[in-house]
Amino acid sequence: MLALSRKKNEALVINNDIEITVLDIRGDQVKLGITAPKAVPIYREEVYLQIQEANKEAMSAENVDALKELF
Amino acid sequence: MVVETRVFGEIEIDDAKIITFHSGIIGFPELTKFTLLYDADKAGGIKWLQSLDEPAFAMPVMDPLYVKETYNPVVEDEWLKSLGDLNPEETLVLVTVTVPKDLTDMSVNLQAPIIVNAENKAACQIIVDNQTDEFPIKFMIYDILQEKKERAGE
Repeated sequence: MLALSRKKNEALVINNDIEITVLDIRGDQVKLGITAPKAVPIYREEVYLQIQEANKEAMSAENVDALKELF
Repeated sequence: MVVETRVFGEIEIDDAKIITFHSGIIGFPELTKFTLLYDADKAGGIKWLQSLDEPAFAMPVMDPLYVKETYNPVVEDEWLKSLGDLNPEETLVLVTVTVPKDLTDMSVNLQAPIIVNAENKAACQIIVDNQTDEFPIKFMIYDILQEKKERAGE
């Protein structure tokens, strides 16, 4: 992983079209501003991981035969 | 093409039935080609989103309106850009179904719907995390399904 130090109001540019700015630093919390093309999805990691986990669970469906009786 | 599927064995898939997730599904960016399978006799509400890249990967999916009639999350147009021109009448909305051993714990994920453009077969999974109270990741459906079945049988 690339590690870069930034101060408040400094930014990073990724791939010509994404800019991440450090807007504020308070204690152990950092506020980031992200400018990116609107088609680029941006998720909080914990949300992304929850959905990934839900997809994984859906893929390991267990009671496939019994399912048919539910409708 | 002939593909190996998780629930239906080996079957022939018409190229026109191939659904492409340009960014993969969430958490599985490498899985981009899928097809939608269902049992015509016992269709019920469940369809299977079968990966064509990985035979073991198939997810049960269903129409969210079947279990939540008011399902209408706010979706930004930009989230659906990869689907091309979207005609509302040719748009399919699906939610994934989790089927654990104990069926009474069955749930659907209302927070990450799958949107399919039926015209060009482009699809994506989006996250509507601005409305988590109304659209939870685990929305329990067993009782709803039972009630519907009973009502239909009356």
